[in-house]
Amino acid sequence: MKKIIWVALAVVMIGLIVGAFTYLYVFRKADISVASKKADIEIKASDLLKKFTDDESSANALFLDKVIVVDGLIDSITEDSTSVSVYLKNPEDIAGTQCGFDKTAIDKSMIKTGDIIRIKGICTGYLMDVVLNKCSIEK
Amino acid sequence: MKTKILFIALLAFSQLAIAQKHIAKTGHVWFYSYTPMEVIEAHNRQVVSILDVSNGDIQVILLNKSFEFKVTLMQEHFNENYMETTKFPKSSFKGKITNLDKIDFKKDGVYTAEVTGDLTIHGVTKNVSNTGTIEVMSGVITAKAKFKVIPKDFGIQIPQLVETKIAKEMEITADITYAAN
Repeated sequence: MKKIIWVALAVVMIGLIVGAFTYLYVFRKADISVASKKADIEIKASDLLKKFTDDESSANALFLDKVIVVDGLIDSITEDSTSVSVYLKNPEDIAGTQCGFDKTAIDKSMIKTGDIIRIKGICTGYLMDVVLNKCSIEK
Repeated sequence: MKTKILFIALLAFSQLAIAQKHIAKTGHVWFYSYTPMEVIEAHNRQVVSILDVSNGDIQVILLNKSFEFKVTLMQEHFNENYMETTKFPKSSFKGKITNLDKIDFKKDGVYTAEVTGDLTIHGVTKNVSNTGTIEVMSGVITAKAKFKVIPKDFGIQIPQLVETKIAKEMEITADITYAAN
C-alpha cells in the first residue's frame, strides 16, 4: 500500500517538473529571455549601419536573429501606447538604428536625446534603418 | 541666366516634392488568427511607410522578424516553418490611393481611401485592392486598413497537424502614423 503512495507521489512530482519545464521553456515570454541573454556581437551603431548599407545580404547573414549590443547617440525617442522606440543616429549619417522597447522594459526618465547609450536587442533586419527589437538598456 | 532660373525653379520644385512625402518608421501592423482551438496574434511596431500626398503613392515595408508573439514557440514556428523569414526577410505593399480627389490632407477629418497595389509576402506578389481610412488630425496623417490574407495564396503551407489551430484566413490590420513635417 505504501508503495502505491510513493509511486503516485513520484508521478505527481515528475508531472510538476515537466509542467514547470514546459512553462519556462515553451510558454515563457519572449521579451524576458533577451535581456538576460549574452550578446553575440558588440558593435557601434554607425558601424552596424555601414555593414547593412555596404552589403545587405551578407549583413543579414551576420546579424539576423543575433543578440546585439550597440553603442550610439540618441537622435530621438518616440512612443505609443505599448512601446517605446529609441532612434540612434550620428549627425553625419543619413540613417541609423531603430531600437524597439516594450514599455515595461524601459524607464524613459533615464534617457534623453543627445545621450550616448548602450542598447541590447535582437536584429530583425534593415529597412530605412537597421532594426532591433525586444531591446533593453545595457549598463 | 535662363538656365539659372530654370535651375532655381527646379530646385524649389524638388524641395516641394520632398515636402509632399510623409514618412513613418514606427508604424504598427498586426495579424490575428482565430480558430476555436487557438487564438494567435502578433504585432510589428517597426513598420516603415512612405506616403506621397501629391500623387497618392503609398509604400509599406516591414521586417517579418519584427513580429512579436506572446509565446516564443509560436514566433519560432512563424519564422522558421511558415514565413521562412531568413529567406524572405521583408513583406511589402506598394500601391496607390485611387480616390485622391476625395481626400484633403490639409483639412482635419476621416476619409475613406481606396487603395490598389502589389502585396508581397513570402516572396509571392499579388495585386490587391482594399479600402482603408486616412485620418488627418492637426496636420498629422494616420493611415488605417484591415484586410484578409490567405496564407495558401502566398505559398505558405500549414501542416495538417496544426490545421485546426491556424486560421485559413489571417486578419491583418495596419495603423500607421506619419511623422509631421
